[in-house]
Amino acid sequence: MEGQGEEKRINRRKFFRTGAQAGVLVSLGGITALVARKTGSGEFVWQLDPTKCTQCGRCATSCVKNPSAVKCVHVYAMCGYCDLCGGYFLPETKTLNTGAENQLCPTKAIKRTFIEDPFFQYSIDEELCIGCGKCVKGCDAFGNGSLQLQVRQNICDNCNECSIARVCPSDAYSRVPADKPYLLNGFGKEKLDIT
Amino acid sequence: MKQRLIIIASVILLLTVIGYMVYDLFFTENDRNNNPYDYGLSELRKSDSTLIAYSEVQQFSTGLSDIYGITTDPMDRIYVAGANGLEIYSAEGNLVSKFPVQDTAYCITIAPDGMIVLGMEDHIEIMNPEGMIISRWKPESENSVLTGVAADETNVYVADAGEKIVYRYDLDGNLLNRIGEKDSLAGIPRFVIPSPYFDLGLGRDNELWVVNSGRHLFEAFRPDGSLISTWGKTSMGVEGFCGCCNPSNFAILSDGSFVTSEKGIERVKIYLPSGEFKSLVAAPDQFEEGTRGLDLAVDSKDRILLLDPWRNQVRIFVYIGDEDNE
Repeated sequence: MEGQGEEKRINRRKFFRTGAQAGVLVSLGGITALVARKTGSGEFVWQLDPTKCTQCGRCATSCVKNPSAVKCVHVYAMCGYCDLCGGYFLPETKTLNTGAENQLCPTKAIKRTFIEDPFFQYSIDEELCIGCGKCVKGCDAFGNGSLQLQVRQNICDNCNECSIARVCPSDAYSRVPADKPYLLNGFGKEKLDIT
Repeated sequence: MKQRLIIIASVILLLTVIGYMVYDLFFTENDRNNNPYDYGLSELRKSDSTLIAYSEVQQFSTGLSDIYGITTDPMDRIYVAGANGLEIYSAEGNLVSKFPVQDTAYCITIAPDGMIVLGMEDHIEIMNPEGMIISRWKPESENSVLTGVAADETNVYVADAGEKIVYRYDLDGNLLNRIGEKDSLAGIPRFVIPSPYFDLGLGRDNELWVVNSGRHLFEAFRPDGSLISTWGKTSMGVEGFCGCCNPSNFAILSDGSFVTSEKGIERVKIYLPSGEFKSLVAAPDQFEEGTRGLDLAVDSKDRILLLDPWRNQVRIFVYIGDEDNE
């Protein structure tokens, strides 16, 4: 009897020890998987394909973030640095200066900087950009298409069901691997350093 | 009595509200279709139909997968250059012959001796009418993007959109001089070419006309590179050239008038030799939105041959008064 009680006590102790070990192992595995998902290729994020985008304006109006997590990104290598920039100026602007009345962007989020005659650099102020795509349309029609809309991953909440993807008429949204989160189009995109 | 009236009024009000909600939900256009940030490109593409002086009389499809250049010879045969091939059609649009080329031909012209001059992806190629290569040479720069060629009895002119310069070669490919380099004393501002559309052609007096598209200007040069004259106007309106960089292509009619094509607002127009707008050949609504690279050629009857890469077609336009002669 005494021997049986001893054996039972050992088994209980063994059971708790094994259980604790298993618990630690499961926790460690879970943490490892979580870290791997965050840092590795297992995670997917929302992105829009600029070749499918029709600049319908819904990126600006349908995102749960206000202003939208979609921003204009400038692929500088494609830019012609034009004086008369189709993405910056209203179509029938008479004078090419930075007057608010001449600018196409509804929030004046594009900055025009003189480089040398007759070249100008255009940069995006992301805090002002609402992702409406008006400049993208102008650049695509009259320029080289260097202005492109992208979901900025540092702003996006990565919702399970993206509210813009639901209403996008050209089906431009898809989930892409988190380690390659941007889908820019054209040459020079690889030189762009965006996070 | 009063209570009954209140009940009836309440029911009517309720039905009205329900009716409005049903109408709003199912019978009105969804607001989502209205873009509050619309660019308004469709408004810009509208044009005055009374300005159209040409009629499209024929079009035919090519056998090439991508098409970039068109020209004609003195017999009015039509040459189409593109991806891995060159096709020659009769003036009526029947295929006469076709030659394979090793890569893509982006521009083409016919020299006075009948030789075919091609601007390829990274070199210039001259072939005889039977398709045999006579000579080929590379431009100096690795960044060259050859977009236009013209040739007379002794010179081959090549427009390089990558280097923003025009090369003048002899027929053997020896570089004679560079045209369009910045020279403030000679009044040459340099070419501004933001996109890969940079065309050139020879005028009636063998002067070289080059499109300085970033400045919306036509510039005429002598073979030695000295500037003769310029004309051009920036405007979204029909009288000028729109966008960052236009016209994209041009050809010259027998009276010295210019036929121009534009991208952004797709349109083909005629300008007098003095540079004044004369008429429309084709309005924006005759093209699919986004069409670009509308190369042009003119034959001996002043028919306008338009290469439409979007439709993969050659489209032929004649002056409206000349339709009966077709």
